[in-house]
Amino acid sequence: MIPRTRNPEPVLITCTALLFAAAVYAVFFHAPAERVMGLVQKIFYFHLSCALVAFLSFTTACISGVAYLVSRDLKWDVLGAAAVEIGLVFTTLVLATGMLWGRPVWNAWWTWDPRLTTSLILWFIFAAYFILRAAVEKRQQRAAYCAVMAIAGFVDVPIVFLSARLWRSIHPVVIRADGVNMAPPMLTALLVSLAAFAALWGVLLRRRVRILAMAEQIRILEHRLDREPAQARRARY
Amino acid sequence: MRSAWLVIRKDLRAELRRPQAMIAMLFFGFLLLVILDVAVPAGTEITPETGAGILWVAITFSSVLGLGRSFDREKENHCLEGLLLSPLSPEGLFGAKMAVNCIFMGLAELAILPLFFILYGDAFLRSLPALALVLLLANSGFAATGTLFAAITAGADRNEALLPMLFFPLVMPLIAMAVRATGMIFAGAPLPEYSSWLQVMAAFTLIFTGLGFLVSRHIFRD
Repeated sequence: MIPRTRNPEPVLITCTALLFAAAVYAVFFHAPAERVMGLVQKIFYFHLSCALVAFLSFTTACISGVAYLVSRDLKWDVLGAAAVEIGLVFTTLVLATGMLWGRPVWNAWWTWDPRLTTSLILWFIFAAYFILRAAVEKRQQRAAYCAVMAIAGFVDVPIVFLSARLWRSIHPVVIRADGVNMAPPMLTALLVSLAAFAALWGVLLRRRVRILAMAEQIRILEHRLDREPAQARRARY
Repeated sequence: MRSAWLVIRKDLRAELRRPQAMIAMLFFGFLLLVILDVAVPAGTEITPETGAGILWVAITFSSVLGLGRSFDREKENHCLEGLLLSPLSPEGLFGAKMAVNCIFMGLAELAILPLFFILYGDAFLRSLPALALVLLLANSGFAATGTLFAAITAGADRNEALLPMLFFPLVMPLIAMAVRATGMIFAGAPLPEYSSWLQVMAAFTLIFTGLGFLVSRHIFRD
């Protein structure tokens, strides 16, 4: 059952909206324009935030996949499906913002850079997750298959990256082991954006999990209603 | 271990009596090589890289036909349930199917390669020993991933087009590495130049074989 406690959602949504307003302010007024790229570079803050959130989603999906296979509790399947849905949306955003940024800066919408390749293949893998989800009818079976798909997809990512890295990369390395490679106000803007996107991710994930859990309950109720003998139903009305 | 060997022998014998998978793989592989030959403008010289790309397109697409067949036979008359009721463990079943797929792919390549050399020039022929190594690595990687997803799609309702859609995104890095390594081999590069590609290919194979064994119990249970 979905517990009927006080709904914290309005508070969460308000906080997320405020964080986004702060992020937009920080990006456009606090952080200086980049020396070479100028105004175009502003897209970087949201580009990286989307990438982080997508990664967060797929990690969640992989962990809940493992948790489902171990525990066989369908709530993990619901969490995994919600995470992959959101991850797919944000991966699409990463690819879109990356193209918008790449056109003026690299003079190409698309190159086969390791991170671009990795994001694209990741997008394909998790889009295939939904094709698989739609193709399996039985509930338990679908959950097990999807869990395996999420784990396999997650495991594939480092290999994709490694194989693509053997080609030359033109991506800027912003965060190295020995520190962050950017001006302090830019870092502030980035951190605020990251926080805003992480909050948005939390709100969306919560919503999707609730909706999917409700759909699940409706399915169970419908199933029970179908099995109830017609006679008993007539007697009740 | 012994029962897995029995499953391998059973599958090979069934294939020998009625070669469904092999015929599909070979015929499709030949067709692809001819289609790709038509697609290349007449008179253009095939560079080593292009040759490698053509070879791997043919191998990849023909292999998916064989992989898709690997659980077809078990779906008739509830054979899969029978196999799982036998003392054979799910891990053993996965291993046996993976080995069978590996063998089928190797056999299909034995026939696809000569046609490739006939159509695209026998200058590539001198690189055969190194190419065999790449093929071996790629076959086992394909077989590991392919068996895992063939088992999954065998349980799905609409499974004809499902396998390629699930399988190709995951093996894309393997295909990319195989094409690169093969291109270098065709160009006559020495082993140290492409050994890092082979290492990543081996890592891919190991990871997906391990994953397959770990989750086979869950896949076959449902």
